[in-house]
Amino acid sequence: MGIDSALEKTVEKILQNTEQQIISNLKDALKSSQQTLANSQSSLEQEYDKILAEGKKEAEKLEKQIIGNADLDSRNKQLLLVEESIEKVFQKAIAKLQTADRNESYSKLISSLIKESIDTIGTSEIIVQTNSKDKSVVQSLLSKFPGATLSADQIDCLGGIRVQSKDGSMKFDNTLDARLDRLNPLIRKDIATKFRG
Amino acid sequence: MSAQGGVQYSKIAEIKGPLVVVDGVESVAFDELVEIQTTDGQRRLGKVLEVGNRKAIVQVFEGTTGLSVSGTSAKFVGKVMEMPVSEQVLGRVFDGLGRAIDGLPEPIADKFIDINGAPMNPEQREYPRDFIQTGVSVIDGMLTLVRGQKLPIFSGSGMSHNILAAQIARQAAVVGTSDEFAVVFAAIGVQYSEAEYFRRSLEESGALKRSVLFLNLADDPAIERIITPRVALTVAEYLAYDLGMHVLVILTDMTNYAEALREISAAREEVPGRKGYPGYLYTDLSTIYERAGRLRDKKGSVTQMPILTMPSDDITHPIPDLTGYITEGQIVLGRDLFRQGVYPPVNILMSLSRIMKDGIGEGRTRGDHQEISNQNYDAYSRAQEVRALAGIVGKAGLTGVDLKYLEVGDGFEKEFLTQGVDENRTIDETLGLQWKVVSLLPKNELTKVKDKFIDQYYQER
Repeated sequence: MGIDSALEKTVEKILQNTEQQIISNLKDALKSSQQTLANSQSSLEQEYDKILAEGKKEAEKLEKQIIGNADLDSRNKQLLLVEESIEKVFQKAIAKLQTADRNESYSKLISSLIKESIDTIGTSEIIVQTNSKDKSVVQSLLSKFPGATLSADQIDCLGGIRVQSKDGSMKFDNTLDARLDRLNPLIRKDIATKFRG
Repeated sequence: MSAQGGVQYSKIAEIKGPLVVVDGVESVAFDELVEIQTTDGQRRLGKVLEVGNRKAIVQVFEGTTGLSVSGTSAKFVGKVMEMPVSEQVLGRVFDGLGRAIDGLPEPIADKFIDINGAPMNPEQREYPRDFIQTGVSVIDGMLTLVRGQKLPIFSGSGMSHNILAAQIARQAAVVGTSDEFAVVFAAIGVQYSEAEYFRRSLEESGALKRSVLFLNLADDPAIERIITPRVALTVAEYLAYDLGMHVLVILTDMTNYAEALREISAAREEVPGRKGYPGYLYTDLSTIYERAGRLRDKKGSVTQMPILTMPSDDITHPIPDLTGYITEGQIVLGRDLFRQGVYPPVNILMSLSRIMKDGIGEGRTRGDHQEISNQNYDAYSRAQEVRALAGIVGKAGLTGVDLKYLEVGDGFEKEFLTQGVDENRTIDETLGLQWKVVSLLPKNELTKVKDKFIDQYYQER
């Protein structure tokens, strides 16, 4: 047996040992990584669940935002439409009041307005103001209210009267405009109810 | 409401601060609404504070700037101030007097309600129960808000109370029920930037749909601030008792309200009480706070969260002092925590929700809620003592258990207390965090919780 064959055997042995060592190392590494994988499985699952829950939460938040804003937007558009229609009704009513006949029933209305004004102000010593259309109606009624005089100044209104005490310290607005203004919220409600059926 | 209206008087005897004295009046009633007309035809609202000798003292909400004795007239409307209410108020923004400022028409009223509210019949009151989830851990976990409760936040100038208020308004909800929930938010004397923040915050989160905003700005007349909480509460009562909703009312900042009250009192030359506030401050505040509650046979509830800034962080100042007498606990924001960058900087050792026990527990939140909350309170309190001790003897002089308590203190502030401005935590998440904090201690240190809960929730490290 020559030197070469002994050398070959030695090399082969070393190779075998190294191979076994490498295989053993690989097996250990495989085992260790399988162990690590098994260990991290539960924490990974927890992490996965957490990410999923956060994503779900974020999605719900976004859904809430989008739906909330869309609902509000459509509600606001509806409000504007209703208001536009209410405004049209008011304009028509005002036009009707402007052209209303100054007949007997209107005269009765003015009479009740004067009486109401005197009761509210607490004195019959009053100056009554009205517009040019109602001047003759008011003038004809003042004889029923001693102490009341018609002012030469005319006011700009749809109809009705404005009174003030003779010393000028108290005023009471009983024009149709003022009454319409005071009842505006109730009239708006009635109109809106009719729109909605 | 009638078409009749009221008499207009033109004899103004005196204008003094926010007050106008009208002479020669007849049949005028206390608290009656008054329309002040200026020389240029502008209208301002006010109310009668005092009547006698044919004189009426009128408090002008929008201030008396620009008014003169000659040319000004006062119309006594013949009714008290009313707020038009309907379901349409939801999603709307109003000024401090209840007028729409969002570019939309005034809501069509279902009812007109006296803003002073009708006093609740004590016999008809129901004890506050059930929990409102704010999504803020420190509140839900340790200072639980209960439906029908009044729980104020005591803050200091410059602290993050408004951010917290907006977060609560966005996130608050009633859980485990299909009952409707609404938030009425009244900003009293806030800066424009803050008002914009509140508005944007609710709009962007989609929470505006179920909210009503009342904004009285810092440059609005101070007197308007007297009205703002009242109109807000009137709307809240309507939503709660007529529409059956659970309503959370957030009032910020009640200190500005009290300042306005002091201004009027000084103008009326009343005998001042503590720090110049009127002697009736307690009574006046109670007319606001006592509007929180639940009524028998009514589905809804009104819960209040007033926020006030304590001048010089002084908790003995008349405003927090008197507020504390009326409300059911308080949430105190701490300057030290705020400086450390903790949000929300709630100092739990000075805070308390007196009726928390009635809103939590099995069937409401979770069976261990009260006990784990007590344990956290106990541990954090001990941590504060240990911190003080460590400042004197140093960490080297502390025992092993003491060091654990130091860890608990840090964990409590960093993990449980600290929360993102947009972070909405569920009650289970909150309770989980509370367990995580106390799990830093050995099991034998957990003396406030039952063993069964320790077995179930203790988090081994």
